[in-house]
Amino acid sequence: MDRFINEIKAELGNNGDFHLQRDYLADAAVMLLGFNTLIDFIKTRTVLHKHAESILLQNQPSEDLWGAIGELMEGDVLKAISSIYEGKLIIHFENTSRFIIMEPVPAMLDRSIDSPTNENVIQGALDSFTEGIDINIGIVRKLVNSDEIRIDSFSAGRSRKNKLSLLYIDGQADIELVNSIRNHIEKNIQMEAYNLQGLAKMLGFPSWNAISKFNTTELPHHAVQNLRKGKVILFVDRLPFALILPSLFWDMFAAENDRNFPLPIMLAIRLIRIIGILITLITPGLYVALVSVNPEVLQIQLALSVAQSREGVPYPALAEIIFMLLILELILEASVRLPKSIGPTITMVGGIILGQAAVEAKLVSNLLIIILAATTIANSTIVGFQNSVSIRLFKYAIVILGAIFGILGLVAGLVFLSAYLASLNTYGKSYLYLNVKGNENNGG
Amino acid sequence: MNPYNLKSKAPITVCLLLTVMILTGCWDIRDINHRTLPVVLGISTIEDDQYKVFLKIPEPVEGSMEVKIVSATGETISHAVDVISRNMETSVDLLHVKVIMIERKTAEEGMKDIIAGFMRSREVSSKALVTICDQNMDEFFSKLSESKNLKGTNMFDYFEKNAGWNPEIALTRIWEVYRSIHSYTRDVAIPLIVTGDTTTYEQVGSAVIKNGKMVEQISNDETLLFNAFNDESTHGQIEVLNHASVMIIGNSMNHHTDLTDKQPVLQSRINLKVVVLETRGKTSSDMIKKELSHLLSSRFSSMLANLQESEADILGLGQLYRTKIDRNELKNWRSVYYPNLKSDIQFQIDIQNEGYLRTT
Repeated sequence: MDRFINEIKAELGNNGDFHLQRDYLADAAVMLLGFNTLIDFIKTRTVLHKHAESILLQNQPSEDLWGAIGELMEGDVLKAISSIYEGKLIIHFENTSRFIIMEPVPAMLDRSIDSPTNENVIQGALDSFTEGIDINIGIVRKLVNSDEIRIDSFSAGRSRKNKLSLLYIDGQADIELVNSIRNHIEKNIQMEAYNLQGLAKMLGFPSWNAISKFNTTELPHHAVQNLRKGKVILFVDRLPFALILPSLFWDMFAAENDRNFPLPIMLAIRLIRIIGILITLITPGLYVALVSVNPEVLQIQLALSVAQSREGVPYPALAEIIFMLLILELILEASVRLPKSIGPTITMVGGIILGQAAVEAKLVSNLLIIILAATTIANSTIVGFQNSVSIRLFKYAIVILGAIFGILGLVAGLVFLSAYLASLNTYGKSYLYLNVKGNENNGG
Repeated sequence: MNPYNLKSKAPITVCLLLTVMILTGCWDIRDINHRTLPVVLGISTIEDDQYKVFLKIPEPVEGSMEVKIVSATGETISHAVDVISRNMETSVDLLHVKVIMIERKTAEEGMKDIIAGFMRSREVSSKALVTICDQNMDEFFSKLSESKNLKGTNMFDYFEKNAGWNPEIALTRIWEVYRSIHSYTRDVAIPLIVTGDTTTYEQVGSAVIKNGKMVEQISNDETLLFNAFNDESTHGQIEVLNHASVMIIGNSMNHHTDLTDKQPVLQSRINLKVVVLETRGKTSSDMIKKELSHLLSSRFSSMLANLQESEADILGLGQLYRTKIDRNELKNWRSVYYPNLKSDIQFQIDIQNEGYLRTT
């Protein structure tokens, strides 16, 4: 046992998966070192031996073999240790301080490319991004297939283990935007960016924004189409989606897959989404406003039937709707947490039975249940989960304003919301930017 | 632009939000099921200048609408409503009053104050219809409450254009009555309603209102002409002649006005498009045209003569002379000019359709 091995053992010996194996390669006694959780040892050894055999058969000197299988180093124990941590295989020559850092056959830790789990696609490409950043970049490269694509990679974080990649198409992307993103990443390269909050901090976005600055997507097709339109994609290692920058208001309504339908159908689908967002925002507030503040707006027949449906309900409309909205949010949150097998049960119990029981117990009115159902369904028409969550939040502001000021408050709430959306920008690119010029080069 | 930093302004934001809550007084808001929404407001005067107010309130009862009629008296209408509100378990909210019914006696005495009160208080929508009850109001409402087919909103439906309205019914809103009180050149007609024998209501004609007082009564047929003059649709109207009945499907008119030496002259041409519905015996198109035009012009002139006598300009003929009469003189329109008005009304009949039979 020589000094080199001892030093590494002292450092890594308390790791249960640290693997040390003696082997012979071209008559040289070697030691193979690595983590067996990261390295498929059996396959790696097979590859190694095949390699050695072919070199020996051609009567080449063994030095050529060492050069061919990896990087030959001498003495640097620290480098060897960090390489082991990165999942490399160290081949150490016994009784020397020489070693080779080899790229082994990795253990299968990444999931294969799968169909998207959070975004459903009808009539469109069914692949999706996975956790591995290299796979994701590979997918994009395959789809773009152009010499104009630029990929900047960064290693962020204190120990520089967090891989980030910035993708854009030269000539299409706004170069100022690319530079701003690059400068921010380089300036804050020490920050950890394992999640979107960390990344937003790194890019200098305010952390109190209710709307995400990133338009996230799992769909390579969607991401690449945005790339072609001059947007920028960020990949973070271990996050299975592309982050498209800048995120625009119009992205709530337009999914790339829409273009697989005829134009009139596409326009109709997008119109539905616009109606959806309006229904989500307005109906709960409208209910409160009409029922408690401005019943004169209703037609008399409708007013009477609303009054009839609320007969015997003990709480004011605001308390009633907040109560039911809260229960709905709980159901939504619970169905995210729950295992897939019992999820539907809970949804049924929560949605139908609870709703019906609440009506029959005269806690809430029939009409409210209809309104809530419409709201929740309409909310789901918005493209992108991060967007629909934001809209879900805004609806409360409008409900409260509607309860205080009636229809006036409702309209004021919408105006405030529009003003807020208009105040958002990503490095100077307004959130409400809309490409009306017809060409799809920028924004849109 | 600096993004709004919520953290640094959080205390101020919270304070502002709290003041919003406090300043609005939103705890006074009553939910819709705690409000009583009357559809009809009836007003009559009793002794000592007191108002007796009736409210017709639709009440949802287990899947159907029942109607409740309540009444109270007071020095003012709002006081009487307040009395009702005090005695009811929910608060009375006049926002949805669609029809205001005034007893004939009260209308004849003058309803300037009533109308002005409604315009002032904004409690009742100024779009509410005004009608006159040609019957004792106690009797009217007690008959109504005994009636079997009294459903939630049927009084309102009676006047609804997309429900029971008919071109022989004048539609006059509160603001129009208010306008007529203050205008020199325009008066209004208000439907006269009684309870019917077989139907719930019956229109016996229209009241001519001048300066907020009922001065004259016109018949249902004359109300049709009034509506035609006011461009209210005449669709679906059946006009009975000696030999045929027709339906008016469209009308247009043009006027030629002249004013010489305080003598207004009006030449009107009214074009009617009609459809023949029924004929009796031998009838030709020419006959129908001639008879219809004769009938309408004589009906029109007799109505105008009546109106001139009572100096009430419900057709708004004064409007046509506004450019010709000096502003200072205009206030004399009703008393000086209008009774002198000479009119020459011609009806031009155009039979658009004779139906499936070509026998006329």
